[in-house]
Order: sequence, then C-alpha cells, then structure tokens
Amino acid sequence: MKAIKAIGWTMIGTGTLILLFLAYQLVFTNFITARAQDAAAEQLDERFDALRQALPEPERVEVLPPTAEATEDTTPDPEGEVALFSEPAPESGEEFGRLIVPALDLEHIMFEGVDRVTLKNGPGHMPWTPLPGQPGNAVLSGHRTTYGAPFFNFDQLAAGDEIIVETLLGSHTYAVRESVIVKPTDVWVTEPKVGAWLTLTTCNPRFSARERLVVFAELVDGPNFAYAQAAKDGLIDLVRA
Amino acid sequence: MRKLFEALPGPLAARVIIAIVLVIVLLILLGFLFDFAGTLLDDGGTIGP
Repeated sequence: MKAIKAIGWTMIGTGTLILLFLAYQLVFTNFITARAQDAAAEQLDERFDALRQALPEPERVEVLPPTAEATEDTTPDPEGEVALFSEPAPESGEEFGRLIVPALDLEHIMFEGVDRVTLKNGPGHMPWTPLPGQPGNAVLSGHRTTYGAPFFNFDQLAAGDEIIVETLLGSHTYAVRESVIVKPTDVWVTEPKVGAWLTLTTCNPRFSARERLVVFAELVDGPNFAYAQAAKDGLIDLVRA
Repeated sequence: MRKLFEALPGPLAARVIIAIVLVIVLLILLGFLFDFAGTLLDDGGTIGP
C-alpha cells in the first residue's frame, strides 16, 4: 500500500514538474522577450537618432562594362559607378534594427549575436556575416516556439513574400526565394553569396530542435540594391571591391 | 510539507528563514533545469558545428 502511495505521489510530482516546465517555456519566456523588446524599441530609436547623422559617405564602386546577361535593374550612375552604403557594426548584444514580415503580421527588434542570452531578447544576427542590407549573405536566427517565438509561422512563408529590415541606413526589402529544411550543422546555408541575401534560420519542426527551417530571401529594394544587382550581374570586380 | 518544515533545525524564526532560502534555491535550480531542458524544445535555431 505504501509503495502504491509513493508511486502515486511520484507521478503527481512528475506531472506537476512537466506542467510547470511547459508553462515556463511556452508562457513565461514570452514575457521575458516582450519586456526585452519593449526596452529595445526605445533604445533602437535613440540609436538611430544618434548615429544617423554620423553615417559614413557611401563608397563609389566602379561598374565594369555591362555584358549581355546584365539585367535592367542594374542602374549605375552616368559615371559608371554604384554607391555602396555601409553602417557601423553594432556591439555584441545590442539592438540594431527591425525585422518586419507583413505576411505574418510580425515585427521584432533584432539584436547582434546568436548566443543563447541574446536570442532570448529577439531574433539575432550572426556577427560573422554581413549586416542585413549589406551585400553578401546576412544570417538571422530566432526562436520558433519559446521566447516570443518570433519565427513561429515561418513555414507559412511563400516565394515572393516580403521581408523588410529597417537599419540605420533605412529600409531594405527582401523577397522570399526558397525555404529548406536542414540539419543544425549544415553551415553551408551561412556561406557568402553574390548579391544581397537574408537567410533566416529557426528550429524545425515546432517544439523540437532536431532540424532547422531556413528561409532564403533576396534584396529587391533598398540603399544597396543597385550595388547588389550589379554584383549579381558580374559588373563589379568583387576582388577589388 | 508540514513534517518537512518541522524537521528543520532551530527555533520557529530560523526554520522560516531556512525554508524561504531553500525555496529560493529550489526555484533557481528549477529555473536552470527548465532553461537547459528548454533547448530540447527550441535552442534558438542557430546553425553551427
């Protein structure tokens, strides 16, 4: 009788612990992130106000003579150059921009870094990749089911959906090109790319960290669009640039 | 629960303080445990070796 009672209490205790765990992960962590996002929203506006006046002049990059493959979107100025706008790199853990996905009604402040502490505040930028809005492959990671679950519905993104990133330079619009499911160790998704790309990574499936859902989006508008397009068309000597 | 409380050493005031400290320590440990176990549900979605 005593043993049955002990087993009963153990099961009740285990069940309570599991319920507490789920409540902590699926509810409480959302409050932590919501608080961090609220605080970051104010600090981001202050950062933009303080640094926008001191942005460096855009670099003028020479455009090579066009080839037959060049698209009409490449619009170098009459002097045969395109502008390359850059912005100062944010500090580790610092908020540096907004991620907006109209199709999912999503708006989140982005932070610099993909360590566990930073990702509790919101989507994070892999520091060894270019900043969003810059040429190359900018990589962002975010939680799928906990800590605000910013990327919860990313499986619903379809080719052509817009992803807007606001940084110090202004607004950069990307269009979703492709989604893939990979292993967490598939680092090829973060490798440099020609043009300007935004790669968003999150856990897959929901409630599991077994795989990664990766969304690739390409820059279609923004300060560095002409540069990215010229680079994609092979009109920029990337070795020299 | 009451038996556990009564098993604590010292007078009533000391037992109350010990109980509060134990509960706080337990909650902190539980927080760490939940945080660690949470990475099984969602580890942030990063890519890396």
